[in-house]
Amino acid sequence: MIRIDRLRKCYDALVAVDDISFDVHDGEIFGLLGPNGAGKTTTISMICGVLQPDGGRVLIDERNIWVEPKKVKRDLGVVPQEIAVYEDLTARDNLSFWGSLYGLSGTELTHRIDETLSRVGLAERAGDKVKTFSGGMKRRLNLCMGLLHRPKFLLLDEPTVGIDPQARLNILEVIREVAAAGTTVLYTTHYMDEAEQLCDRIAIIDHGRILALGTLAELTRRAGEAEVLRLTGPFADESLRERLACIPGARILGFGDGSAVLAIELDGPGLLEILPRVLEADLGIEDVSIQRPNLQSVFIALTGRDLRD
Amino acid sequence: MAALAILRRDLKRYLRNPLRTALLFSLPLVMAAIFAVVFGGGVDEISIKVLLWDEDESLLSMLAGGAANSGEAGQQLDVVPVGDEGLAMMDRGEASALVHIPSGFTDDFLAGRKTTIDVVKNPAERFLPLIVEEGAGIGGSVLSAASRVFRPELEQIHGLMSAEGFPSDLAVAGLSSGVNSRLNGLQEIIFPPIITLETVTVATEDIGEVEDVGILAIFLPGLAVMGTLFLAQSATRDILRDREAGLLRHLLTAPVSPGDYLLGKCLSVIMVTAAGFALMTVVGAAMGVSWGPPVATAALILATALAASGTLLLIMSLVGSERQGDTLTTIVIIVWSMLGGAFMPLDQMPGFLRPLSTSTLVFWSTDAFNTLILHGGGLADILPNLGVLFAAGAVFLGTGAFVLGRRIRRGAI
Repeated sequence: MIRIDRLRKCYDALVAVDDISFDVHDGEIFGLLGPNGAGKTTTISMICGVLQPDGGRVLIDERNIWVEPKKVKRDLGVVPQEIAVYEDLTARDNLSFWGSLYGLSGTELTHRIDETLSRVGLAERAGDKVKTFSGGMKRRLNLCMGLLHRPKFLLLDEPTVGIDPQARLNILEVIREVAAAGTTVLYTTHYMDEAEQLCDRIAIIDHGRILALGTLAELTRRAGEAEVLRLTGPFADESLRERLACIPGARILGFGDGSAVLAIELDGPGLLEILPRVLEADLGIEDVSIQRPNLQSVFIALTGRDLRD
Repeated sequence: MAALAILRRDLKRYLRNPLRTALLFSLPLVMAAIFAVVFGGGVDEISIKVLLWDEDESLLSMLAGGAANSGEAGQQLDVVPVGDEGLAMMDRGEASALVHIPSGFTDDFLAGRKTTIDVVKNPAERFLPLIVEEGAGIGGSVLSAASRVFRPELEQIHGLMSAEGFPSDLAVAGLSSGVNSRLNGLQEIIFPPIITLETVTVATEDIGEVEDVGILAIFLPGLAVMGTLFLAQSATRDILRDREAGLLRHLLTAPVSPGDYLLGKCLSVIMVTAAGFALMTVVGAAMGVSWGPPVATAALILATALAASGTLLLIMSLVGSERQGDTLTTIVIIVWSMLGGAFMPLDQMPGFLRPLSTSTLVFWSTDAFNTLILHGGGLADILPNLGVLFAAGAVFLGTGAFVLGRRIRRGAI
């Protein structure tokens, strides 16, 4: 189990991670979902022993990574956000080097390299220099480096950024397989759909703080709404905002430039009654979109902002 | 061991990228090769090719040509008799200079008339034509002085040579007597010379006698040390690229400490710099430089490589970006090379600079090479230098590892 206990990191006045605590249970896929700059990478850097926390501790199977770093790191596989491979070496050279850092050698290393490359569909390109690879292939090789030594804990920091859908599906599939084989996975992302599809439990992080934590069902229930209404109109006008706030059964989550976001409360009259009231209120509405409850709506409910903002 | 894995990876990268590797070694090797070609073999072997276009073809002009080809001048000068094709040869740059003795030169000289020797210089060469010009000028001055001092006798010779048939015994005897009495009259003025030049080589207790090893052996070690530093600069630049590409942070998620990483990088930089230095010694040896006892030379190359690697790794650990690293290391290398004796012999430096020299690793290396090459020293004589170089390399490497680890843990990298 990975235990994060009151972890904190500051860069001068900026608090990047603010006393966060959570546990990642053995064998589960735990998602850390948040926008760019939320503190995901800082958190994962502290968990894998690269960045020293200003406060709190990280326990991996009850061992403190800052007390016995080399022993603990042997159980970790880390896939960083950057593509951390040597482009002037072949895929096999990269993995051979990486495996040797974990004490692998000889036929065992060769076997592991072949196995891992096959798993991500790169076996035929094993002898090619990485600089000839596409972005998706490099990402898959990046993943291989985290899997090669069969770690007990796999930490992935936005491993699908900037790749095509097919490569993304391949990576997600491999992660599911690895987790099914018993590996504990900590997965950071800002893609809601990835978190929804992949993760057993999800922590929503923003401005260095955990805003909510639970399964997808728990989180959507916790948001306390059925649907989210996104209205486009002249909501810079304060009087229109006041009139919108008077509509019963809808809670205003926030206003943007020319937009308003409303949550339909679970114990209220429901969407079919509220929507006509909104449209009849003469608010100058130009467009309406209805969102089923998902992580996006949960995030909006928690922060008043879109995850993409 | 992680450091050895990093060393193996770096060596593999050099092998996988032969062009990049060749470029890495090209700078110091090209520097050494150019220096070796320019100064190779020592000054003694420089030969100046001079074309002699003698239109006068008289006894005097032939004597002048013969003098240039005999004695010490003969070792330095390669005098080639030519006709008017000599000018075309000069146009093609086939000689350093052409000396033209015009027709009637001897006749004019004996008659006391003004005459000229022409020197045509090769503009593509800087120093060698000047030597010929100076030599011809000195010859002209001697002949002019002789013309003034022996004017009556020279006119007598001119008369005898202009006359039909062989001169009479009486005329020859008179001429001989006249020259003899003129020389007797000059004897008190010319002999003995008032000023004589004596050259003495001073041997001090500290330095010992300096062997005559040629200019290449004096300058090549310093140049090789500087080349090694530039090689280390190129090789250590990888650290900054690893940092900026996120490779270093990823590496430290494995069971690898910053110390392991820097040690691995240091080993690979030492391999590269030592190989580069060894290549430069081979170039020097091929051009006649005797580097001294092989074991002492090998130990010195290794110590210099360690010191260069440690220094550059420390700087690369301190700086914030590749640009900063390039600028700072270039300044350090140039200043150290100037102060440390790479550009001028250490004993030629102004006194006030010598204490500064000893603060540079270039000094400790070039000084040791001087001990081996110029003073015939051995391993025991350079042990203090080896100690300083090894200790500095180790201290710099340790400090670099500490600084790098600290900066990474704090999130500054």
